[in-house]
Amino acid sequence: MKLNKTNLEKRLLKNKIFYETIKIFSYALLIPLALILFYIIKNGIAYLNLDFFIKMPAPVGETGGGALSAIIGSFLIVGLSGLIAIPLGMLIGVFLAEFKEHKINNLTRLAVETLQGIPSIIYGIVAYAWFVMPFGKFSGISASIALALMMLPMVAKATEESLKMIPYTLKEASYALGANYYTTIKKVILPSCQKGITSGVLIGISRILGETAPLLFTAFGNAFLNFNMAKPINALPLLIYNYASSPYQEWHQIAWASSLFLIIIVLGLSIISKNVIK
Amino acid sequence: MTNETILSIEKLNISVKKNKIIKNLSLSFYKNKVTAIMGPSGCGKTTLIRSLNRMHDLDKSFKVKGNISFGNTNLLKADPILVRQQIGMVFQRPNPFPNMSIYENVLAGYILNGIKLSKEEKDNIVDINLKKVGLYDEVSDNIHRKGSHLSGGQQQRLCIARTLAMKPKVLLLDEPTSALDPKATTRIENLINELKNEVSIIMVTHNIEQASRVSDYTAFLYLGDLIEYDTTETIFTVPKDKRTEEYLSRKYG
Amino acid sequence: MKIMINLTTHKKNQLFIKTLKGAGYLTLIILTLFLFTLIFNSFLSLKTISLSFLFNTNWQPNTGNFGAAPFIIGTLFTSILALLISIPFSLSISIYIGYFLKNKKRKNTLETLMDLLAGIPSVIYGFWGLMVLVPIIIKLQTTLGIIPYGVGILAASLILSLMIIPYSVTLGKDVINLVPTDLVEAAIGLGATPYEVIKHIAIPYSLSGLFAGHLMAFGRAISETMAVTMVIGNRNFIPKSIMDPANTLASVIANEFGEASAPLHISSLIELGLILLIITTIINIIGKIIVKAYTIET
Repeated sequence: MKLNKTNLEKRLLKNKIFYETIKIFSYALLIPLALILFYIIKNGIAYLNLDFFIKMPAPVGETGGGALSAIIGSFLIVGLSGLIAIPLGMLIGVFLAEFKEHKINNLTRLAVETLQGIPSIIYGIVAYAWFVMPFGKFSGISASIALALMMLPMVAKATEESLKMIPYTLKEASYALGANYYTTIKKVILPSCQKGITSGVLIGISRILGETAPLLFTAFGNAFLNFNMAKPINALPLLIYNYASSPYQEWHQIAWASSLFLIIIVLGLSIISKNVIK
Repeated sequence: MTNETILSIEKLNISVKKNKIIKNLSLSFYKNKVTAIMGPSGCGKTTLIRSLNRMHDLDKSFKVKGNISFGNTNLLKADPILVRQQIGMVFQRPNPFPNMSIYENVLAGYILNGIKLSKEEKDNIVDINLKKVGLYDEVSDNIHRKGSHLSGGQQQRLCIARTLAMKPKVLLLDEPTSALDPKATTRIENLINELKNEVSIIMVTHNIEQASRVSDYTAFLYLGDLIEYDTTETIFTVPKDKRTEEYLSRKYG
Repeated sequence: MKIMINLTTHKKNQLFIKTLKGAGYLTLIILTLFLFTLIFNSFLSLKTISLSFLFNTNWQPNTGNFGAAPFIIGTLFTSILALLISIPFSLSISIYIGYFLKNKKRKNTLETLMDLLAGIPSVIYGFWGLMVLVPIIIKLQTTLGIIPYGVGILAASLILSLMIIPYSVTLGKDVINLVPTDLVEAAIGLGATPYEVIKHIAIPYSLSGLFAGHLMAFGRAISETMAVTMVIGNRNFIPKSIMDPANTLASVIANEFGEASAPLHISSLIELGLILLIITTIINIIGKIIVKAYTIET
């Protein structure tokens, strides 16, 4: 064969260099990820003990303490958000998938997609204008509304996508048995989409659990233990933010432990949601 | 009449995992002839033709043993890139590069291989090869436009021009007309006839009439075995093996 | 009796259908109210300061001076820098997963890596940046002999680039993977090396998709709040170099909104939010149009 061999060697070398370079760049990202996880585990593990879950943050100057108020606050806020966003999101999702011919269907889809793209801080501003300004006080409820609005598009989209996968024959079979529309959706269609919707809901919850920006001027934070959603309330991400910017070593340690706890829950939820689909 | 051998396969074995696709196959292809490879689906004809320019390398699960001699080189041991420059391939579905103009598509082999050409050389290569495949007059007005508006048959001829532009010694055609209408098929068949003076052609075809129309030699494969290989005339008039005869009379397809 | 039952189920059915349609309308109402709230509350600032808001380079709440320019510039500066830092990584991973990795196990490793990077909450990125990255930058700045702020554009861009990589990769790896096998084989059949196939065929073919992916990642960078707020240094001046502290549209809102009491201050902050919303929405719409055109084409 009479082809220019030196040219070939050069090209093969170029190819090799290219391949190795993209490989290095790809795996290089393991380093920052490992560093982030390493620091969080190293600094957080010692304080992620029983005290973390049952004690209030210690006052400045004292060691120990926990994040009880923030844990309770986070679960209350996210719980209420879920109660609002899950049923409403599912209804919107069913509407999007089922009422394709309805005059506002495309407009609603556009609205859902627009909501999905809105920066998180803006949810905070709007919830502030809706619930904090008129009542004159920060509250857990206003935070829940902000987070519910963020979660809404995720649930709606997951529902719509799962419903699209259901073959029409299933619906026909249900109608053939004499079921009406309501029973068909409730007893046949939604249960067959259970996996997709559950996974969407879990991803939604894991997202809003870590959200901080919408809580800054809604939940605001609270130094005391509070179960009243009409009052300012603490949350894990708020605690991390406030303690991170403080100069106190002890507070930093609680913030590390909270970060570790939050990461375990958030990543745990997303792993569960992936396995749900499988 | 003696024939010069261009490519000769010796004891070729190809397997994927535990499935033997090509079994101990030996066969010589002749220079400036058209050889058709025929056989029912799953007989290994596509695998065979793809191994001739090392396309099987793309799938690591293919295990290949044996010898494919091209001059005094064993193609299975040579660098695949050099092999592919010598042995060109045209695929089932026309696949001109959509990001390139017609002009650039003809030159694609040079562009991809990083070979620098002067403007005159480029124009020359494009003119000659478009003329060869009979596209020159059809596309000369919009040679710098994308090839996507061309008909399927024109696209396939562009793909042949693209392959010929690299001046290969052997041209592999993997069912080149299976996606085309009868009229376009006839054009490609005529083209194959014209091209055999400058390049040796090996084609896989599903179409028995096509094999009889364009090929000088025919190889009949059945479940990875070479059943029969002879001049097309012999195969079609006096097949030696019962399976060949049955295939030609469409007992199975 | 039987008729009664049928009537109630019929009513239930009608009610259900009405509820579904109601949910559709409610979505529109929520979004409209949402936008109305932002516009209504920035009205004071819109009226008092008008267009000069965009170009005024002064933001001094105590003197009643409100100009958005430092934050618009700060946002673009950090986001563009973050995007530039992220591109070599996001392109590499997209190509590596989309073209080379047929091996499921390694593909899973990288996809999990992306999921993890995307899953870490923003506030934790910020906290880690403040505790680990900023001290490193301070050392660097001390060695270079410049004012060791630590916090600033550089810290924010580095953290942001990590956060947005998964967003470009999600789309990027898919569009590379969608390059038809036909074309790849044709190029290989002509003697091209994988590098040449990627350079001449795969990338040109998937260019618009890669662009859309990076555009949406850019949108993420612009709207990202917490991580940036924590490491950017919160200074209301136009940054002159990557070592300077600054503020972005999102970070100045996060930083000042809770403490703002003057109506014009609050209104100006909300107008910044409105600007942020308009920019990100435009970016998202362009991205989605490209993706839609793409999916129709292929």
